[in-house]
Amino acid sequence: MSAATTDTANPRKPYVRPISKTSWFLTSARYKSYMVHEVSSIFVALYMIQLVAGLFYLAAGPEEWESYLAFLRSPVVILLTLVGLVFFVIHTTSWFKAVPQATRIMRGEEVLPGKILVTAHYGIWAAVSLFVIILAWVA
Amino acid sequence: MAHSSRGSAKAIPWFLFAAGGTVTAFVLPVMLIVTNLGFFPSAMSYEGMSGFLSWWIVKLAVLGILTLGLWHAAHRLRVCAHDFGIRADELVAWIVYSAAGFGSVAAAVALLMI
Repeated sequence: MSAATTDTANPRKPYVRPISKTSWFLTSARYKSYMVHEVSSIFVALYMIQLVAGLFYLAAGPEEWESYLAFLRSPVVILLTLVGLVFFVIHTTSWFKAVPQATRIMRGEEVLPGKILVTAHYGIWAAVSLFVIILAWVA
Repeated sequence: MAHSSRGSAKAIPWFLFAAGGTVTAFVLPVMLIVTNLGFFPSAMSYEGMSGFLSWWIVKLAVLGILTLGLWHAAHRLRVCAHDFGIRADELVAWIVYSAAGFGSVAAAVALLMI
């Protein structure tokens, strides 16, 4: 923001509380939890790259696919996967938490209570997860 | 928020971000468990995976998840860069959105090759 530059030109020299541009979010629990779900995007991006690369390895043939699977078994990838899983679940729960603020469903004259919306999202999440697990299990 | 009958120019990027956030919220945790933790060797075998991805509906679903996920991550990474003190927003936006676009096209190409 341009506040800092205009303040230096201000002859009244008002007090400007110093705020770090790089660590401001450490000052409150709300900011910290905001940053944790924003940082989840780093893991989403990494996983998307891994999956796009995987498609190319699959297209290349069985041997290439085998080397991709070996890469997935490497300790660094396993570690990133476990950390990423935590961030993915944080992304999911924080996203669901914000659903009532983002979605308003009218039922006649009343707004559908946010709690119902959030519960429905958790229900769908469980169903989708179970469906994917079953799909992978029978394959 | 300003009310305008013409709507907002940000409506489409915002819709993509929200759609990406929703889709990734539902599918990414379970997908990561299936693909990366070795619990499903038969599904992750060459035969299993290429058979699964030979279905056009599956190809479309995978492309949808990847495109929306990339867009969602790109938008959040842009915000992250700002929040960590990087104020070259135009450059950051150009880099992350280009990367997301490139990744989506690459995914489509790879899916066509399978």
